Amino acid sequence: MQKKLSFYLISLLLFLIVLAVASIFIGVYQFEEGSLKTISKILSGNEDINPSDYYVFFDVRLPRVLMAILIGSGLAVSGTCLQGMFKNPLASPDLIGITAGSVLFAAITIVLGSYVKAVVPEIIHFSLLSIMSFIGAMITMSFVYKISSTNAKTNVGVLLLAGVAITALSGATTGLLTYLSDDEELRNLTFWTLGSLAGATWTKVGILTAVIITSVVLLINKGKSLNAMMLGERDASHLGIPVENIKRRIVLLSALMVGASVAFTGTIGFVGLIVPYILRLVFKSNYYYILPLSAVCGSILLLGADTISRTIVPPSEIPIGILTSIMGAPVFIAILIRFKKSI
Amino acid sequence: MIQAQKVSYRSKEVHIINDIDFECNSGEFVAILGPNGAGKSTFLSLLANELHQKGNKILLKSCDYNQWCEKELPKHKAKFSQHNNSDIPLNVEDVVMMGRYPYFDHIPSEEDKKAIQYSMECIDICPLQNREYNHLSGGEKQRVHLARVLSQLNNNVENKLLFLDEPLNNLDVLHQHKILELIKDFTIKGNTAIVVIHDLNLAAQFADKILLLEKGKKVCYDTPQKVLTQDTLSKVYNFPCIVTTNPVNNNPLIIFGK
Repeated sequence: MQKKLSFYLISLLLFLIVLAVASIFIGVYQFEEGSLKTISKILSGNEDINPSDYYVFFDVRLPRVLMAILIGSGLAVSGTCLQGMFKNPLASPDLIGITAGSVLFAAITIVLGSYVKAVVPEIIHFSLLSIMSFIGAMITMSFVYKISSTNAKTNVGVLLLAGVAITALSGATTGLLTYLSDDEELRNLTFWTLGSLAGATWTKVGILTAVIITSVVLLINKGKSLNAMMLGERDASHLGIPVENIKRRIVLLSALMVGASVAFTGTIGFVGLIVPYILRLVFKSNYYYILPLSAVCGSILLLGADTISRTIVPPSEIPIGILTSIMGAPVFIAILIRFKKSI
Repeated sequence: MIQAQKVSYRSKEVHIINDIDFECNSGEFVAILGPNGAGKSTFLSLLANELHQKGNKILLKSCDYNQWCEKELPKHKAKFSQHNNSDIPLNVEDVVMMGRYPYFDHIPSEEDKKAIQYSMECIDICPLQNREYNHLSGGEKQRVHLARVLSQLNNNVENKLLFLDEPLNNLDVLHQHKILELIKDFTIKGNTAIVVIHDLNLAAQFADKILLLEKGKKVCYDTPQKVLTQDTLSKVYNFPCIVTTNPVNNNPLIIFGK
């Protein structure tokens, strides 16, 4: 069991590294000396790299690739954990409204932020947006969980409809805010609703590394507990699983990861739905496998999608949210068909 | 083994369990009997630390449940629930292996594999082990969970406690007897089993003691010969019955009807 898991993990990680290196050298800008030579120069610490090569490598593509890896991993892990907690393959952060709740708070912050900034200490200004999107994610998560669960059982209809309601509210508010906003705020808002990794910087990568790596590490070994929770929460606690503790951890850390992703990249939908679905085709619902593997597969998916999104219509790029939705909608329908009896 | 004093349970102002005192010793097979709505399952859940209410005092091996280490407790007691999830997209073997979760962190040891193999043999589900759980029939799923619970208590701890809530539902006669005999063997080794059961004759045949409940109250708690009498049963079940002696094993034999 263990051997097989580490085999899959290592091969997928190797694939991710190859994809990451390839992704750095794919794009509208071509490195002057060819990719292999540039790599060897960078690795050997050679100073005489062409300054524009250097700039594109270190300040544009590398942070962007790292951000895709981090966010893909975070979204996929939060999707898998939520599905385990709600015992349903449709529970992903976007479908149950957590992303929308987070976007709602981010949008309010963008437009009304100038008023708020006058009263909060300066240190918070910088991270105001991420804190607000985290709070938004957290509030919607608790709200959705409260209204959809009775006696430790989840009502899936209510769960998904709560998502629809929150998405509608968020859509309406974002619409209203576009009327109130000036030019720059408008540009920011549009970016939020479509999602893009184009704004990657090292600061953002730093914050995301801290948030997502911590959360993923704290969640990734909970596969056994999620398996046991399929028996029902009471039976899981007879097996010594601290159910309440794990649920609290999943709620908090998923909200944190979704909030951080939304703050820096806007709405990138369906990653938390597609990745576990594909893994389930191979490993059934054995979270012992799909939880750690989803961390790597999420990165692969989002990095692949981002590379496509910035090369498919040169010299411009299409928002990555559109690409993931194109992939996500058929998966959504496939899940509906496959699980229609149990949903 | 387990002691409960003045246990009550109230939900939305309805008294489901009313001041029940209960105690049993190691090596006993206790059956909980009673008509529908008597509070059998609720009482079992209270004993098994699933339901809680302020003021209840339940001691397992002279220790309050709160004082038990969360990691140790699953090795001393296990519970089989009446309503098992029927949708678990895993193989049968993986579901049974969950019973061993208290014993390993990541990789099941050889001992864990032997333990699940042994309980699957006991319960007759070896031929199913590589099938998908979701494709099994109701009775087969039931047996998978029984195997899981048995493998959970397959260890060197002495005086273990097993709670079973209607384990015989959906099972055919062969498996009903097979499972009761397994439980009997388990108690003969010094362990305790508390079983909610509907079939009075099976309870008479296998149980050492019977707890009879009615409307959340204890009617009596004693050996089968003393509890299963014509008067008590026809009053509690509100249905006429005759109690004679089983010609095969001399246990009480209950025949309902006029």
